[in-house]
Amino acid sequence: MRILHLYHDVMNLYGEYGNIAILTKVLKSCNIETEVICCGLWEKPDFSSFDFVYMGAGTEENQKLVLEKLSEEKEAFQEYVNKGGAALFTGNSFEILGDMITEETGKQWQGLKILPFRVRQQKKSRLTGDAVFSTSKIREETVGFINKCSCIEGIEIPCFQVLMGMGNEDRGKKEGITFKNLMGTHLTGPLLVKNPYLLLALVNDLIKKERKEGLTLEEKESLEKGVLAESIAAYEVTLRELKKRMEKEK
Amino acid sequence: MKKISTILLCKILRWIGKILGKGSSLPGKIALKICPDILERIKLPPYIIAVTGSNGKTSTVEMIAHILTENGKKVAWNKEGSNQIEGVTTLVLNSATLGGKVKADILLIESDERFARYTFRYIKPTHYVITNLYRDQLTRNGHPKWVYDALKDSIYPQVKLILNADDPLVSCFGKDHKEVIWFGAGKLEQDESSFSGIYHDGKYCPVCSHPMEYSRFHYDHIGHYACTHCDFKRQEAEFEVTNADLRQGTITINGKYDISLQLKSLYNIYNILAAFTVASLVGIEEKSMVKAINGFVAKNGRVVTFRLGNRKGTLLTSKHENSISYHQSLRIAAACEAGCDVLIIVDAVSRKYFTSDVSWLWDINFERLNCENVKRIILAGTYCHDLAVRFSYTGIPAEKIQVLETVEQAHEALNNDRKEEIYVITCFSDKDKFLQRVTQQ
Ligand SMILES: [Zn+2]
Repeated sequence: MRILHLYHDVMNLYGEYGNIAILTKVLKSCNIETEVICCGLWEKPDFSSFDFVYMGAGTEENQKLVLEKLSEEKEAFQEYVNKGGAALFTGNSFEILGDMITEETGKQWQGLKILPFRVRQQKKSRLTGDAVFSTSKIREETVGFINKCSCIEGIEIPCFQVLMGMGNEDRGKKEGITFKNLMGTHLTGPLLVKNPYLLLALVNDLIKKERKEGLTLEEKESLEKGVLAESIAAYEVTLRELKKRMEKEK
Repeated sequence: MKKISTILLCKILRWIGKILGKGSSLPGKIALKICPDILERIKLPPYIIAVTGSNGKTSTVEMIAHILTENGKKVAWNKEGSNQIEGVTTLVLNSATLGGKVKADILLIESDERFARYTFRYIKPTHYVITNLYRDQLTRNGHPKWVYDALKDSIYPQVKLILNADDPLVSCFGKDHKEVIWFGAGKLEQDESSFSGIYHDGKYCPVCSHPMEYSRFHYDHIGHYACTHCDFKRQEAEFEVTNADLRQGTITINGKYDISLQLKSLYNIYNILAAFTVASLVGIEEKSMVKAINGFVAKNGRVVTFRLGNRKGTLLTSKHENSISYHQSLRIAAACEAGCDVLIIVDAVSRKYFTSDVSWLWDINFERLNCENVKRIILAGTYCHDLAVRFSYTGIPAEKIQVLETVEQAHEALNNDRKEEIYVITCFSDKDKFLQRVTQQ
C-alpha cells in the first residue's frame, strides 16, 4: 500500500507525522506492506499510484504556499479524489480544497475548487479549544483539539457533529467535510493516534480496497489488545477528562 | 489629582495583596480601569529595557537585574513575573512617587509575547531584547509565526533591538530596522552539522520560502544559516559566545570574558549572553559584569535537587507544550555518565487553563533517551498512556519503560536502593506533586 504524506515539512505544526507512524504500524500488524512517500515543499507530488493521501496543518503563510504548489497539480489531485481515492486533511490544510480563502485585509486566494465552500480568515484572535465530536463512521466519540483563525461557510456534508468545541462556523454543529473517501477536519495533530477507533475505521476501508474484505473480528481484537492497547487507554483518559469538562460547562 | 489617587490606590492594593500572598496583576488592572491613560502620565527613567521571547525571559531578566543591581544601579523590575499589561502597570505605579516619577535608574520589563503590543503602546522601551521564538503553548498561542506578527506590532522604529542572531525568525525583526545589536554563539565544540530534531522550523527561509543551508546547528533550528535563494542569512554577532565547555561548565564571551555556569546547559548560555549584552549597552564595565554573573544564584527553582531515600535526584522543570524546553532537560539526563533513571510526569497539561491536548509530545525528541546512560524510564500521570504511545516510537526497548497512572506510584517505584541518579522531568503544573514526597536540598 502506498501512502503519500503531502508537504510533511511545512504542514507539520502539531506532530502530524504521528498519524502516518501509527497507520503504517497498524497496517504492518495486518501483514500489509506499506511504502510512505514524504513530499516536501519543493517536490512535485504524483497522485497516480497512491492508496492514501495525508496533509497536516501549517501556518497561514505555509498554507498559501502549499495551495500555490498544489494548484499546479490540481487536475491530477482532483481526479484522485473524484475516483474515490482515500485522503485525510487535518487542520487548516482542508481549507485549500474550497472555492476561496479571504483574509481580513480583503485579500483573496483562489482555492483548489474541488469542493464548494468559502473560508474567511482573521488575524485578531486565535480560536483554540478541545473538542468532542461524533460521526456516523464509528460508534465511539472522536476527541481532539482545534487551533484555527478561520470561519468556513457552505459545507453541506460535514465530517463530524459537534458535541463540544467549535464547528466550521464557530458555534455551528457541523465540523469538517466529507466527500467520497476524502475526510477534512480542523482537528489538529496526531488525530489517528488519539482516536484508535477512528483509525480502525480508516484501516478497515483501506484494507477493503486491498483485499476485498475489511478487518476480521480476530484482527480487530488482536490490534486492540496489541499495538493499539496504550492508544486506547490514552483515548479513554482523554474522553473521561473532556466529558468532565462538558459537565462543568453545562 | 486622579493620578495621585490612582498611584496611591495601586500601592495600597499591592501592599495588601503581598500580605495575602496574591499575584501582582490585580492592582494594575484596577488602576487601568480608573485611569486608562495612567501609564502615559508617569515620568519614566532614561533606560527602559524590555525582554520577550518564548523561552528564557524570566532567567534573562533575573540575570540583568542582578548584574545591574550589583553594579550600583537602581532597577525597577517585575520580580513576580506578572508579564502582561496589568502586571507591568502594577510594577510601574508601585515604583513611582506620588508625583508620578519612577524612582529608578532603569525600568526592566519582562513581557508576554502576545501582549507586548498593548504594553509598549504606553511604555516605549529604549532597549528591546527578543530571545527566541519557539513552538510554545500552541493551544493558546497559535504558532511561532502568529506570535511573530503580534510582536512585530510592538516594535517602534526608535528602539534599539537586541536580537538573537542564531534564531532565523527572530532575526527577521532586524530587517529594515535602524538600530540592531546582535548576540549569538560562534563555533562551538558540540555543534552538529546536520539537523537532529523532529520538526525543522529553519528548513525554509522565513523571507522567501526557499531552502536554507546551515553550516552548524547549536540545537534544534538555532545555528548558522543562510538562504540558498535570497540574501537572508545569520548576522555577525557583536556579542558572541566564542567557547563553551559544558563538562567543565564554562563559557567565554568575545574571546576574553570567562564565565562559569550554574546550569551546564547550552540553552542557558543564551540567557547569560543576552544579559551580558544589555548590561554592556547600559555602560557596565565587562570585568564587573563577569564578577556579578559568576556570583549569581538563580532563585526561580527550575532545577531542584532532592533525596529519595538513599537516592540522589534532580528535578528539571520543563514547560509542557514546549519541545525545546523539554530538549534541554532530556540532554542533561542523557549526558549523565554515571547512569540515571528518568521519570517523566504529565498530569495536568497547564496550571493556567484546561486542555487535554498532548500533540506536543510528538514534537519532543524523546529519542535522546535511547542511550546507555539512561537505565530505566517511568512515564507517569493522567496522560501516561499518551506518553507510552509516543515512547513506543522512540526505539527505546520496552523493558526499560514503566507506565504508571499516579505520581504516588511513580514515587514508590523509585523508592529503592538502585545506584542510579534520578532525573525528574516535568512542568510547573506538576512538579510539586512529586517534590512534596521527597526531601528537597
Ligand atoms: Zn530567502
